[in-house]
Amino acid sequence: MDERHIRAAQAAFTWRTVDADLEILGLETELAPAGTAQVRGSPGSPRMFTFHGERLSVALEIDEDGIVGQLTPPGPARVTLLTAGGPQAATEADEVGCFSLPPPPPGPMRLDCQRGADRFLTEWTSA
Amino acid sequence: MGDRPEVGRLVRASAQGDEAAWIELVRRFTPRVMAVIRSYRLTGADAQDVSQTVWLRLVEHLGGLREPEALPGWLRVTTEHECDRQRQRGRRTVPVDPHCGEAMNRPSTEDVEAAIVRAELRQALRDGLAELPERDQALLRAYALAEPYKDITQLLQMKTGSVGPTLRRCLDRLRRTQALRAYLGSTPAAEKQKGGDRFELAPLD
Repeated sequence: MDERHIRAAQAAFTWRTVDADLEILGLETELAPAGTAQVRGSPGSPRMFTFHGERLSVALEIDEDGIVGQLTPPGPARVTLLTAGGPQAATEADEVGCFSLPPPPPGPMRLDCQRGADRFLTEWTSA
Repeated sequence: MGDRPEVGRLVRASAQGDEAAWIELVRRFTPRVMAVIRSYRLTGADAQDVSQTVWLRLVEHLGGLREPEALPGWLRVTTEHECDRQRQRGRRTVPVDPHCGEAMNRPSTEDVEAAIVRAELRQALRDGLAELPERDQALLRAYALAEPYKDITQLLQMKTGSVGPTLRRCLDRLRRTQALRAYLGSTPAAEKQKGGDRFELAPLD
């Protein structure tokens, strides 16, 4: 049995949250637009994600230059990039909900979006 | 399996913050998660990413598992989904010029329209689901969950003969919701697509 996997999994418990007001945004699609080809290992091509919740959705485009995202409904919010190791970077979304962040490190990541009193977390995923 | 009630206890204790129970849960189920990952032939960092993502998600789903005894099923489905995504991840998306087959730097307007069509359909499905009775919603969700490669969109495109009568009636009710009738009645973005990306929601006879 792989001890490394077990230790990483056991450490995940530190992310347990009991905040009932928190909404988790589910990963709905990783969009591969029509007219695109899936090419193994070609660098520089963006990957697109959409996360949906009851009150907020997030669309992301991630490539080696970083993350570009937009919140729907549009509007400002504090957006933090999280990994299992903790917060990596944070930024403010503008009036139309657009934001950018540095490229995520390898491994699982998620965004923490704080808008007013509301807090939203995207589901964990790997970019 | 004889240890099911014990699994339920570990899940409930973990959901209430008992870290020792969580550690036991991970120890007990890591071999199963790894077996799924291996069946997808993922190794090294890819395997590690999938495993970690699955357990990170479980931490948040512990409280939401209606039947803690269903954990093995949840882990299998979630791991399969993640393995699938990880495989896709290896194949980066590159826009291609349909005329010459070469990669382009930017998505075309057709790509954007296709994305809009999908977004509209998703929204219609979400709204349509919300119109249905709780029982129908649960059935459709459960079915989509049990079949890692199918979502409701695909269900709607399935041949009549390939779904059971209960699910058929359920899908039929989904088609008759206001949201889906509205979507099917007026899909300006979809009309612009010539075949290809248009979602056919074939009526059941």
